[in-house]
Amino acid sequence: MTIDFKNLPKQELFGQGNVGCKGCGAAIAGRQAMKVLGERTIITIPASCMATLGGNNTKTTWKTPFYHTLFECAPAISSGVRAALEIQGIKDVNVVSWGGDAGSADIGFQSLTGAAERQEHIIHVLYDNEMYMNTGGQTGSQTPLYAITSNGALGKKVHKKNMLAIMEAHGIDYVASANIAYPEDLMNKFKKAASKKGFSYIHILAPCHRGWGIKPEETIEVARKAVECGMWELFEVDEGKRTRTYEPSFIPVADYLKAQGRFKNLTAEQTAELQKSVNKYYGKGE
Amino acid sequence: MNKVLITGSEAAALGAKLAKIEVLGYYPITPAFPAMERLSKYIEDGELNCKFIRVESDHSALASVLGGSLAGARSYTVTNSQGLLLMTEVVYHAAGLRQPIVMGVANRALSAPHSRFPEHGDAVSQGATGWIQLFSENNQDVLDNTIQAFRVAEELRTPVMVNYEGYLQSHTLEEVFVPDQGKVDAFLPLKRMPALDVTNPRGVNTVAGPDVYTDYKYIQNAAMEQALELIPKVAADYNREFGANSCGLIEGYMMDDAEHAIVAMGSIVGTARLLVDELRKQGKKIGLVKVKTWRPFPAQAVNQILKNVKYVTVLDKNIVFGVGGALATDIKANLYGQGSMVINGAILGLGGGKCGVKEIKEAVDHTESSENKNRSEWIGL
Ligand SMILES: Cc1ncc(C[n+]2csc(CCOP(=O)(O)OP(=O)(O)O)c2C)c(N)n1
Repeated sequence: MTIDFKNLPKQELFGQGNVGCKGCGAAIAGRQAMKVLGERTIITIPASCMATLGGNNTKTTWKTPFYHTLFECAPAISSGVRAALEIQGIKDVNVVSWGGDAGSADIGFQSLTGAAERQEHIIHVLYDNEMYMNTGGQTGSQTPLYAITSNGALGKKVHKKNMLAIMEAHGIDYVASANIAYPEDLMNKFKKAASKKGFSYIHILAPCHRGWGIKPEETIEVARKAVECGMWELFEVDEGKRTRTYEPSFIPVADYLKAQGRFKNLTAEQTAELQKSVNKYYGKGE
Repeated sequence: MNKVLITGSEAAALGAKLAKIEVLGYYPITPAFPAMERLSKYIEDGELNCKFIRVESDHSALASVLGGSLAGARSYTVTNSQGLLLMTEVVYHAAGLRQPIVMGVANRALSAPHSRFPEHGDAVSQGATGWIQLFSENNQDVLDNTIQAFRVAEELRTPVMVNYEGYLQSHTLEEVFVPDQGKVDAFLPLKRMPALDVTNPRGVNTVAGPDVYTDYKYIQNAAMEQALELIPKVAADYNREFGANSCGLIEGYMMDDAEHAIVAMGSIVGTARLLVDELRKQGKKIGLVKVKTWRPFPAQAVNQILKNVKYVTVLDKNIVFGVGGALATDIKANLYGQGSMVINGAILGLGGGKCGVKEIKEAVDHTESSENKNRSEWIGL
């Protein structure tokens, strides 16, 4: 089950005239996903950058129904949408909740774990810019170790919560990580998720140049480095079967980290520590 | 129409079943849970074609029901007290989105201190949310109000809470006349208006600038004002169709020549009737005003019925701290400049506290004693 990457639909269901910043990683993720999800998709988005850039007054960015929900409850809303479609006998619609890292892993986690446990027939996307950008870039559970944020000038002191492992532990149909610099991989994952009858979770690393301290035109490049250095593994767990979907080239983690202002205070020891943990994870010794 | 002996919880569930709800989202809380258990049993027994979403919180309960409504399904939930407070964000939001959700509320006191017992504090906390709020004197009202609520909600695109009190109503058996399903179907035709529809894609809750936000709120409030006309019409239709005796906004009892009026909502109305009967036997010109519709507040109807009385005693099973009882506050505000009657509020029956005939009598006496004018009395301390 793969997409025909060379013959993607020309139609843009998301992205024409959005009010996001130029180089917005979240908007790129939206555009890529919609190429696969198609017109018969209902999107619910909790409070976040993605929600506000989706529609202003009578102008909307989406060509599918989309609903800017309250912060905590997009997966619960989507559960209700699915129930209403089922009762009306409408079967071929993708119901997608699309949350930021706060709207999925922090304040939105309760409704996410609830919907996943119930095996609701929905896809939940966490588009991860690793901080609370819509409110100015504060630290959250998805902010990585040592990253500087608007309310954490000294850098984060604890690890990023492993949402992919947590979601995998729900025993849901489909779990995948993705990255906007690997659109074909990302789109294939959406294709699979859309074919499932239960719950799917796709976690997309989508840099925010303002929060990360990079230039707008570097969004894709930095996203790619996250994968190539091994800090953002591309994989899927398809009905329990775990597969790495891309083998990285293992550039030094320093190449990824040094490219970003949010890691400007990283010491040599901290960089070495992060390199060591990547090496260990991939079984490359210390 | 047949007659059954059921609790208020069963009356709420039966009302929702007769309305053929399609999406039920629910999170357990005492004393609302028996209504939900009854509904999930109807679904499991194949008597009701409805999707039950077993959510993980009250917030998600109303959110899931809201999702169902936005996608075109007739949707219902039931809650109270802490559950309602946790939902509050969604309560406002659903009203702003103009979704015709109906919610049963088995009124219970709010923590702290912890209490499981009846009062109206939870409903009153939601008085500014933009939901229509109906109160039920007895289990017949619970059933009748629930069915009427769907008609009102769907015609006005405004959500409705049907209040009935925990234990006093939720767990107490009473005789209830049950309307025929076929007639309810005709009374509540299903007209789907999905906002989330792939054949007609639209953005819902897009960011509204200062140039339009006030207009949205004006239109929302206008629907509440329309409700003051619609609710009595729906009640009249209902009474005609089902031979029922359901009140619209308010109902007067022994009010024609009354010099003293008791005003109340919920189960205490039934108790106050007993006192009125007793005092009437002693020759006292006293009457009673039952407020079924608290939001929108039926100012004109209340003013009209109270215009010739000398004394008003308002019974409030709630306290707005630093202000007084919510109903008394509304009545005083609306009677301002209309007459020279004494209006006393009585705070009683909080958290299941005593609110029998004796306590109501005490409140009435307070109002007529010369040194107590236009005050809030606490009864039963
Ligand atoms: C109940 C509630 N609390 C707080 C907020 C304020 N708020 C809006 S968006 C946001 C941060 C969103 O962060 P994230 O989910 O990571 O998405 P991003 O904006 O970074 O894309 C916050 C804190 C809110 N809208 N609602």
